[in-house]
Amino acid sequence: MATLVQVEELRKEFGKVHALEGVSFNVDAGEWIAIMGPSGSGKTTLINILGGLDTPTSGQAIVDEVDVARLDESGLTRFRAQKIGFIFQQFHLVPYLTAVENVMLAQYFHSTTDEKEAQLALERVGLADRIEHLPGALSGGEQQRVAVARALINHPKLILADEPTGNLDEANEETVIQLFRELHREGHTILMVTHDPAIGNLADRRIEFAHGRLVKVTPSNDGSRNAYR
Amino acid sequence: MFWRLLWKLLRGSGGRLTVAILALVSCAMVVSALLNLEFDIERKLTQEFRTLGANLLISPRNAQITGSSPAEVMSESDVSAAIQSVKDPNVAAAAPFLYVVGSARNTPLVIAGTHLEELPKLEPAWRIEGAWKPSKAQQTACLVGRNVAQQLKLAVSSSLNLIYLRKNAQLKVIGIIDAGGAEDNQVFVELAEAQDLAGLPGQISFAQLSVSGTTAAISHYAARLAAALPAYDVKPIRQISEAEGDLLSRIRLLIVSMIVLISVLTALCVLGTMAALAMERRQDVGLMKALGGSIGRIVTLFMAEVGVLGAAGGFIGAILGLELSRWMGQRVFGQAISSRWEIFPLTIILMVAIALAGALPLRLLGKVKPAIIFREQ
Repeated sequence: MATLVQVEELRKEFGKVHALEGVSFNVDAGEWIAIMGPSGSGKTTLINILGGLDTPTSGQAIVDEVDVARLDESGLTRFRAQKIGFIFQQFHLVPYLTAVENVMLAQYFHSTTDEKEAQLALERVGLADRIEHLPGALSGGEQQRVAVARALINHPKLILADEPTGNLDEANEETVIQLFRELHREGHTILMVTHDPAIGNLADRRIEFAHGRLVKVTPSNDGSRNAYR
Repeated sequence: MFWRLLWKLLRGSGGRLTVAILALVSCAMVVSALLNLEFDIERKLTQEFRTLGANLLISPRNAQITGSSPAEVMSESDVSAAIQSVKDPNVAAAAPFLYVVGSARNTPLVIAGTHLEELPKLEPAWRIEGAWKPSKAQQTACLVGRNVAQQLKLAVSSSLNLIYLRKNAQLKVIGIIDAGGAEDNQVFVELAEAQDLAGLPGQISFAQLSVSGTTAAISHYAARLAAALPAYDVKPIRQISEAEGDLLSRIRLLIVSMIVLISVLTALCVLGTMAALAMERRQDVGLMKALGGSIGRIVTLFMAEVGVLGAAGGFIGAILGLELSRWMGQRVFGQAISSRWEIFPLTIILMVAIALAGALPLRLLGKVKPAIIFREQ
């Protein structure tokens, strides 16, 4: 499989704090990677750099042949719109827009809006009857599914999920993880930050961080994957 | 999607934006009322100043009264012909005057010969007890000043025997004038009567005109009249013209100062509201940027929101302002100020500009870093 993400000697410093120290790894297209580690180990910083939300102090972060480190502000904006689908722990939906409008917002910043397509994306995540609901009227799991629909609407090359089940109860967590499994089966490339080893085991590989360094890469076993089937 | 987002932004921040739109409506109301007043003030002031009396004088060169008769006189027909030839719809009244000093009941007094029916138009501020115009049967009628009536114990319908040199005229008092000035010591008779008494047929001392319009328009008319009467002096009465110009300048300065002050205060109010709104929207902007929204597109959205607020505030305020200006006109001038529809676009443009100036904090949202916003949470 072709390599979609190449990370080479990536460093990020916030003043005297070294968030990432010489991290290197590759991700193939269609691969699901779980990024694990304790708080403050650099997981979110890595996701932010790969998603073009932050820039590295040094090193390379190449996504779909684009070195994120070399992009200026407008280049990063285009990169985020065209190549990345974000899913956040806090969902980050716009509170005064309905579910379908939140999905259309991503379309609007990417190119043109298509309400029908946005509705289909919501139907796909099981929210056909919640299309015109405001985020405040949706449960946590439903809000996260809206966020998944929004992340997928522009057919991104890479899905970056930062603890997507961190704010969900067990039932909603299962629903959302099933969605990720479907996305993986369809060939999407997923980088997911998680603290949950059970979820980490569902990924093709687990990359573990400690103190800004990549300390371990572990392939998952099929037994764990079957836990959510 | 742009308009849909704009509508949702406006609805979503209703509470905060209500404060901003109230400030803009109030500002637009006062500004449009003041602008309407400013546009109409010249006409209104001119009308007001016309009540002070004549503002244009035609006189012989170096005119002065020596002894009991005027040293210099003018031809009544020449002046009348010139006024007729230089036609101007702004001429509200015109009257010739012949002044002589005669006496009545052994009391010397100034006799002013004029067209009595022109006096109320020429001097609208004068008050009268009785009638201005003589009836056809009263060809020998006169108007007497308040002081003359007091001194000679005259009332309406009293008889008055005016004496000038060896001639006399028996007149009937048809009205008593209260002018509040030197005219209260005078007796006004028909011009022909005065000319007959003075033995100056067809002659006048000077002519007075009441011309409406701006100071510049009055000067222009005076110049045209002067060209038609090269032998005489044609001059605007300087005190009235200058007072009018001076007052107009002061009122205009006051109006412009108030508009600037109110606009600055409103911009500061909008600035405060928008600063609070900008803080609330940091997360939305961080998210929009994370989704690939460019700074230009996001800031344009917020600026459009502010522009709509300004336009709506300007429109509503302009309607209210026209009503306010009508009320102000009624209170100050006793009649409504005419509505000027060009106030609408002017007020709306001004309010949009004020709203955009006050929306400076929203422009700073362009500098929001999504990673920092998400890290704060």
